[in-house]
Amino acid sequence: MRPTVLIVDDHPGFRSLARKLLAAGGFEVVGEAADGHAAIDAARELRPDVVLLDIQLPGIDGFEVAERLRDGAAGPAVVLVSSRDRADYGARVEQCGARGFIPKAELSVDAMRALMGATG
Amino acid sequence: MSQRLRLALALTALAAGLVDLALLLRAGEDRPGPLAYLLVAIIGVSWSFAAAGLVAWSRRPDNRTGALMVTVGLAYLLNGLLLNGVTLVRAPLGFELWFLVATLPEAVLAHLIAVYPDGRATTRLQRLFVVANYAATVPLALAQLLLVDPASLGCAECPDDLLALGGRHPYGEAVLAVSNLLLAVLGALLLWIVVTRWRQTPGPRRRSLAPVALVGVVLLAVYMIQQTLTAVMPSPPSLVKTGLDLAILTTLVLWPLAFLAGLARTRLDHSAVGDLAIELSETLPPGRLEQALARALRDPTLRLAYWLPDRCAFVDAAGRSVELDGEVADDRAVTILRQGGDPVAALLHHAALDDDPALVQAVAATARMTIENGRLHAEVRAQLEEVRASRARIVEFGDAERRRVERNLHDGAQQRLVNVSLALGIARSQVGTAADEELAAALDEAAAELRCALAELRELARGIHPVILTEAGLGPALAALAERSPIPVTVAPVPPERLPPRVEETAYYVASEALANAAKHARATAVTISARRRDGDLVVEVGDDGVGGADPDGSGLRGLADRVAVLDGRLRVHSPAGEGTRITAELPCAW
Repeated sequence: MRPTVLIVDDHPGFRSLARKLLAAGGFEVVGEAADGHAAIDAARELRPDVVLLDIQLPGIDGFEVAERLRDGAAGPAVVLVSSRDRADYGARVEQCGARGFIPKAELSVDAMRALMGATG
Repeated sequence: MSQRLRLALALTALAAGLVDLALLLRAGEDRPGPLAYLLVAIIGVSWSFAAAGLVAWSRRPDNRTGALMVTVGLAYLLNGLLLNGVTLVRAPLGFELWFLVATLPEAVLAHLIAVYPDGRATTRLQRLFVVANYAATVPLALAQLLLVDPASLGCAECPDDLLALGGRHPYGEAVLAVSNLLLAVLGALLLWIVVTRWRQTPGPRRRSLAPVALVGVVLLAVYMIQQTLTAVMPSPPSLVKTGLDLAILTTLVLWPLAFLAGLARTRLDHSAVGDLAIELSETLPPGRLEQALARALRDPTLRLAYWLPDRCAFVDAAGRSVELDGEVADDRAVTILRQGGDPVAALLHHAALDDDPALVQAVAATARMTIENGRLHAEVRAQLEEVRASRARIVEFGDAERRRVERNLHDGAQQRLVNVSLALGIARSQVGTAADEELAAALDEAAAELRCALAELRELARGIHPVILTEAGLGPALAALAERSPIPVTVAPVPPERLPPRVEETAYYVASEALANAAKHARATAVTISARRRDGDLVVEVGDDGVGGADPDGSGLRGLADRVAVLDGRLRVHSPAGEGTRITAELPCAW
């Protein structure tokens, strides 16, 4: 069964490219969201295996979305993305409960699978 | 007009007193009491009230206290004239006329005590008392004349059947008891007014009020004891009665003297002007002038504000704006000091000082030169304050611009390059490795170049504004700075709590600039960074083992010093040649 993905980013161009990239690599993209609140609603409705989550979002940011999604025991794996470096965010990446961080320019199917496989 | 009226009243009081004196002397054995007692009770009390009242009237024509005191004096004189007349003519009608108005002096006196020192009723309780006080006077006397045996009122010759009761006065004792109780209640109400006003009177005003208040309380207390005793005991022991009469008489004579003592105290306050002049003969620091004026005017709440014509505003000694409107309150007042019609300064003081505007003006005139110096000083301080605020605005604007540019880079160019990078990745994955080897290699090369461009762009954006500082705080930001440094950097533990953004930004830029200098100019091989709290400040220290000789007036360090000064902080550069460089910034955290 193909892992399902929800893509959250306020840039439509990135969402479109990420959808193509992941779909070609064996993921099933079940939905997209452009801001934090829509992301939480979509995640609760679609129950994806993975949420590809941009950090800089209108309204609530990606860290807070990740923390709220962590509340559920069977919550999705959250993979944070940003066009900035991980170092720009200090310890917040670990503290928010995300599975990991991928710089947007380095987003790839391999990177996604590596993170998903990291905790089984 | 007022002066002539006062002169006429003075002559009237003098003449009436002399007539009273003549009548008393002529009455001989028929006098209604001992001569000495009557002399003090009629002439002593009358003249002391009239004289003190005329003094008060001339000093404060707009305050009715003086006029009321003169009225008290004249009422006692009129009372004395009627009493002496009654004694001489022995006519019942004369007695009845005297009896009707005999309580008027006390009523006016009660009015005076109730409204002292304002001279007019300002509270609802005061107004109620004044009305009840006068309303009770003549009606009570009339009721007594009609219902009480005249002999027990002091007129043995008066007819005892004014209401044709055949000489019987069944309600007489009850009327007397009720009258005395009513007067005692009025006395208690007046005592309450006096005590309440004393408690509400501010410090500066109490000095002049104290003698009058003290004598007034004693007078009222004795009066109430007398009324209550008379009500419950129609025939008190003569010793007690005489003692109470003498006590009331003494306090009556003392009241105007106490009033004059209060005035004298105010005059003593004027001697503080001399002390102020001596104090001002030495050069006072600007802040001390306000204290000196506060001492001279005995108002610790006094504040001095200087007028700045260019800004059309008042400022304090430190150049900070002062809003006079904020001082508008019942107990606050503002006196504008002028020179040639133009404002120079403003005294913000307790409203009690309005009672003595001459004192305020005398103090202001004495301090005029010092106030003018203080005003010039405040003007310079205000300009410095404006420069400081302007510098803060420039730094704030610069920081806001940095944040905006960084955000634009992140949302614009960076995002587009990221998309190109992803598109290249997709294209690369669709190119068969064997079939289009050259195309695949070209795509790989383009992707590598793009990664370099993105890395450079991120570094540029980070230099413009470090996002990690906003996101994670000073500690992680300094750690990231150290990681990217080309020379080894040791960062001592940083206080974990978040500090005001302007403090964190300034601390970060101090460390960043010092680190850049160490790498570019000092040829250092190691750098240490520490940031610690000390007495409410954040102390940032960056030391290196380079060649030293850093120029504090170079553009980088000069810019840092300006940025630190915006926070009222201090930047020190210790950089002896050959001994490394140590840059220390002390940043107050109250922002």
